[in-house]
Parts: sequence; structure tokens; C-alpha cells
Amino acid sequence: MNIAYELEMKLRPPQKEMLPYPAKFITMASGEKMVIRQAKREEIPLLLEVIEPLIKVEKDFYDIVAARFYAELLGFFRYRVRDEYCLVGTIDGVVTSICNGRLVNDDLGMSYHTMTIKRGLRCGAQMFAAKMEYHIEILNQKEVFIVAESPIGFRRWMIEYQLEPRFHVQHELGGVPTYVLTRDLYFAAKERLVTGTRPVPEELLKTSDTLILPEEYPQIPGWHR
Amino acid sequence: MYRVDKNVYAYKCPKCGQLHYPAPMRCKKCGYRRYPEQEIEPNFQREGYKPWEKTPLKGSCKLLTYTRLWNLPIGFDQRYLDFGLVEFENGIRASGRLLVDKPKIGMKLNVRVGKIKEFYGKVCYGLQFVKS
Amino acid sequence: MKKKQLLKEKTSNGVRKVGVVGIGHTKFGNLSDYELVDIMAYASLNAMEDAGIDGGIDQVIVGNMGAGMLNHQTGIESALVSTLNLEPAMAELVSNGPASGSSAFKMGYMAIVSGMVDVVLVTAGEQMRRVTGWEATDFVATLSHPEVEYPYGLTLPAFAAMFTRAYMAKYGLTERQLSLIAVKDHLNAEKNPFAHVQLPVTMEGIADSCHASVVNSYVSEPLRLYHMCPVSDGASSVVMCAMDGAARFKKKPVRIAGIGSATDTHCVHNRKDPLDLKAVRLAAEMAYKMAGIGPQDISFAELHDAFVILELCLAEEVGFFEKGKAIEAAEKGETEVSGRLPINPSGGLKAKGHPVGATGISQIHELVKQLRSEAEKGRQVKNPKYGLAINFGGFGNNVVATILAKE
Repeated sequence: MNIAYELEMKLRPPQKEMLPYPAKFITMASGEKMVIRQAKREEIPLLLEVIEPLIKVEKDFYDIVAARFYAELLGFFRYRVRDEYCLVGTIDGVVTSICNGRLVNDDLGMSYHTMTIKRGLRCGAQMFAAKMEYHIEILNQKEVFIVAESPIGFRRWMIEYQLEPRFHVQHELGGVPTYVLTRDLYFAAKERLVTGTRPVPEELLKTSDTLILPEEYPQIPGWHR
Repeated sequence: MYRVDKNVYAYKCPKCGQLHYPAPMRCKKCGYRRYPEQEIEPNFQREGYKPWEKTPLKGSCKLLTYTRLWNLPIGFDQRYLDFGLVEFENGIRASGRLLVDKPKIGMKLNVRVGKIKEFYGKVCYGLQFVKS
Repeated sequence: MKKKQLLKEKTSNGVRKVGVVGIGHTKFGNLSDYELVDIMAYASLNAMEDAGIDGGIDQVIVGNMGAGMLNHQTGIESALVSTLNLEPAMAELVSNGPASGSSAFKMGYMAIVSGMVDVVLVTAGEQMRRVTGWEATDFVATLSHPEVEYPYGLTLPAFAAMFTRAYMAKYGLTERQLSLIAVKDHLNAEKNPFAHVQLPVTMEGIADSCHASVVNSYVSEPLRLYHMCPVSDGASSVVMCAMDGAARFKKKPVRIAGIGSATDTHCVHNRKDPLDLKAVRLAAEMAYKMAGIGPQDISFAELHDAFVILELCLAEEVGFFEKGKAIEAAEKGETEVSGRLPINPSGGLKAKGHPVGATGISQIHELVKQLRSEAEKGRQVKNPKYGLAINFGGFGNNVVATILAKE
């Protein structure tokens, strides 16, 4: 065994066995069906390509979210973040939105980022809800730490879910004040904010098998892939 | 001078008795003027002028319509607020906070005055409609 | 000869006739990277170009509701004249809440009718996306009563929702029926290049699917997200002139046939009947009277549907349908572009967007476009003769009705 490989193995964090996020679909306002499923590790390079054009979009804080999201997914792909996951939302296979987070331990989840590419359908709100569903209902965790890095995020998460402020605890994303989703808060908001149907019909799920890069970004007028 | 008057008032025209809420500067029925402060009217003639009578809005009222508002403006941190539009027995109508579990158009309510907003330390009081 | 011509261009009651000879519009949406005055200038230049002129404006009238609050900028009328290099044209700002645009148009009409000026540029704009959604909601709510409405947290959506609840109780309208209006408006907006939301929505998506209650969640019950207009930036502009001088412009004028406006109580609760939109009715009656026509003569209408309920209620108040019956016509497809009486072929405020101060001129823009038969494929009304616009200030406390006619 060569030394570089041995060292690499030492650098990699141990990975916890996580229950996978069971795919679901949501009928969006347009009538289109958005499939939400867990992204596979081998799909991360494509998701990095999805994010990359947004890294320099200042409007609505896409730059900060995209740059950090890119780094988090790269860390996930190259084994530098422990117990991370990524969920992806697709319509006809095209990536509309993504979100990620990680497990701190069995009881505590750490929400990272949520990003919408296709706008006007509230895809991001559904992705965030899916992420909370994953932590609370699938992984059966007690709490999720959440921060907002944009006013839109603050309104969507802190206000919509009435998150509990817990400013003395440290979120992994830095100094932005930490808010917490508890199980009680999640179940109080669930009826209004969380939806989706399982299982996803086979034909529909198939559309999401191969992720497709968005051709255009409403955030970057005139940009074409 | 720092005591807060927590009442919400209707104003009665001294000439024709018409009730108004909020207070207008001119009676909607007979046109009688209301002078709020002498300071803004240098030619104010107090002789013969009758001030408008203030009547606290209280008692029972009927719910005309209502809503639960989920998107609140800046200054409100609640997840949602309920509002109602009511009619008092004296015919006065008003909007205010609705504090009943299962509102229904036409239901009888009582009114009370309570805190409706706190903004930068300043407390606002207003109408709250509760179960009768 | 000149005097004779002038007399010929006057209506039967001796009033000077006025027409629209140029129109301009920006895309509605998030234009927060631009300066408000630049947005308005862009629409103005489009209107001047459309009219075939590069100056010769006697007066500039700006319609705007909140630049002082939203942009921290006042004197935008002078700034606009200057950036367009139109000095020494007269310049004024007209503000009437979300009906600022139509009020500015009315003032332009009055200025020409008075004989004081011949050519007026009316430009209306608003930039609401420079602030957060909370601040934008608060900004619009400041037009409510400062003592007995605003401090409670009441907003325009809340007033519209209370109105809708009462209307539903009286006429049996359902949430699902409200969604029908939204679907129609989105369909029209999809074909309108200026529209903020060019995204079709379906009944399955916003009403019928088991996910609809989350996807289309309540904003103010019983009104849901897709029952309301988006928060938009944008500007629209028109060049108006006296008909006696219209021949020098590039395009044939569209005649201003009637204008009416009326007010109602500032406080919504002070109306005798909470469902009576008296100012709409009075404004429309005034406009019909001036035009010498009635509701049966209107070919299509742009109605102020900031909330879809208003498309129905305004259509009833202006005499298109009996009270409580507008939804039946909508269900039969009568208000679609291909229907008997198309309503909001632009997509309406609901989907085209609602930069509050700009909306009135945007409606006029659509009337002109339709009457010139210049609307995009799929949303051109067939052979329109008269178009009606209703611009609704406050929650119905200051309303302007405008009727334009094909010459």
C-alpha cells in the first residue's frame, strides 16, 4: 500500500450508516412533478457544475450560498466532511434545487444550505421541508441547528417554522445566530409546510435517474450552458 | 402624563349626535367641525364651540368577516395573526385583533383593549375581539 | 382652417380630444440592480420612440407611490426630466397609492384638455424589490389608517382576504373558483414578454392535487399564494397629445374616450356594506358617461386584480356581470382572450406583476397595444373597439377608470 493512500485513509472521517432519504414527489403549481431524492456521491461532480455559475451572483446572496455549498459538496465528495448528505429536486430530470446538511450525532442535525435554481415554484421551500423531514422523521433526530444567510432564508425558515433562537450555541457555518428546529416545532409546522407522495411511481422516478444540468439560470439573464 | 390611556374611543358629534370611529375633522352627517388643538388654529373661537364627546368602544359586537394573516409586515414576529371586522350595537364598525378559536361570520363577540404591537419598546394598545 | 380643425377634434360637449401616440414598458420583475429613475427613463424613451419623437414634450407627469420610502429619493419627476434631457419641460409627480399611474394619466389628460399643453409624457414606475418582502408589505400597508388599521398589523392582503371571506359567505364562491382566475391570468402572462411571472400554473398544481395546500399555502385565509400578485419592479410610459396635433406622430392615436375617478372611505370598516366597492362603480359610471357608451360596448378590460377576487368584483361593479355572477362567466371561458369579454389579457396584476405606482400606466399600455392589434400571438383580443382599465387605490378608496377607443 503506498504512503499517499495510507495518509489519505487517515485523513478521511469515519462515516456513519445513515438511513437513506426515501424519494418522494410533489406536484408543483405548474402541474410539473418534482422528484426529491438523495443524491449519490458519484453525482456530486455534476451538482458542483449546477452550482458553479451562481458563485458570482451577488443578488439575493446567491454568491455566498453557492460558494459555501460548492465547498461543502466538494468536501463531501473528497471525504473531508463527516456524515454529510445532499438531497436533489428534479423536474423531468433537470436539477431545480438542492439542499444539504450533516449529522453531528444521533440526536443533532446540522442544516447547511438550500439553493433554488428554477424560480417561481417555491422549489427551495419544498427542499428545506424535505431536509427537515429527513432529520426529524427519517433519521429520528431530536433537533436541527439552522442559520439563515439571506433575508429570504430568514423568512422561509425562522419565521415559517417559528424556530427557537439559541444564540449561545455555535452553528458550523460560523457566527450567524443559530436557530433550532425541535421535534415539536417540526410537527406543529408539518401540515402547512411539508408534503409529498411516496412511493414515487417507477416511471416518474426513472426521470430522475440521470441528473440533467439546467440550461439556463433565471438568476443570470442571458446565460446559456 | 406618562400614563397610557388604553381605551379606544368613538367620537360623538355634539351637534347631531352622530358617532364616528376614528374621529373625523368634520361630522359626516351635519358637517360640524372638530378642533383637536387650539395650537394649530390661531383663530380658534372657544365661545359656543362644543367639544366632541369621547365614548369608549366596548360591549358586544357581531363579527362581519375575518382572516388569519400568515405574512405579517415588519414589526411583527408572530407566525400569524387573526383579524376581524365587527359591528357594535351602536352601529359603529371597527377592525381589530380576533382572539377566538373557531370564528364564524355573524357570531357574537366582546371587545377588550389589549397590547397589539410592541415596536422598539413602544407598546400600542388596540381592540381585541374575544368570545362573548 | 386651424380653428376649424380644432373644432372638429372636440367632442360633442366641446372638450378638446386627446389620444395616446406612444407607449413604452420595461419588463416587470426584480429590477433592483437598476436605479428607479433609469427604469422610468427606459420606459419613457421606448414610448417616445414608439411615437416617433425625440423631444417636443411640453410636460412630464410621473406616477409613483413610494420612492421616498423605498428608494429614499424624492423629486423623481425632476430627475427623470433631467436624465432624459427634456428640460425645460414642466414636471410633476402624481401619487395615489397603487392607482398613481392612472391618476397621472388623468392629470395628463386634464392638462391637454385645458389647452395649457399639447404633448405630455406620462411615466409611472416603482421599485419594490430593493427592500425585503416584510418592508414591501409594510410599505403598502402604510396607506391604511395610521391609528385604527395600520398598528394592528393589517395589510392589503388581510383586507382583501376579509373581503373575500364575506363575498364567499354571500355568493358561495369557493377557493377553487378563485384558482381558476389565477390559471387564466398566468396563461395570458406567459405570452406577455413584459410579465413578471411567465410561468403557467394549473388547477392540479394550485388547487386539486393532494400537495396543493402546501404548494399554494395561505397568505391570508382564504386567499392563497397564487391568488395574489407578486412584488414587482417596473415602469411604463405613454405619450399623449391633443388629437388636433396627432398627425405628426408615427402611429395613429388611440383616443381617450372616457376617464372617471372616485373615492370611498379611508377606513374599510366605515363602508355601509363591506362588499360594496362604490368608488369603482362611480368611477366606471363617470367614464362610461364621458365616452357615451355602456359596459356592453367594452371589448376587453384590464382590471386591478392584485388579488384574484378583485377581478371578479370589479367586473361586477363596472357592470359586466350581476353581483355574484362573474365567476360563472369565467367558468364558461367568457373572460379568456378568445372569450366574449376578455379580462386581463396582459396577465393582470396577478401574473404580469404589480409595481404599485406603475400599474395604472401599464394597464393603459395594454389597452393601447390591444386596440392597435399589436399584442403578442395568442393574447390579441379580436377586433377590439373599446378597452376599459380599472386602477384601484388603497383597498378601493381611490379608484380611476379609463376607457380608450380605437379611432
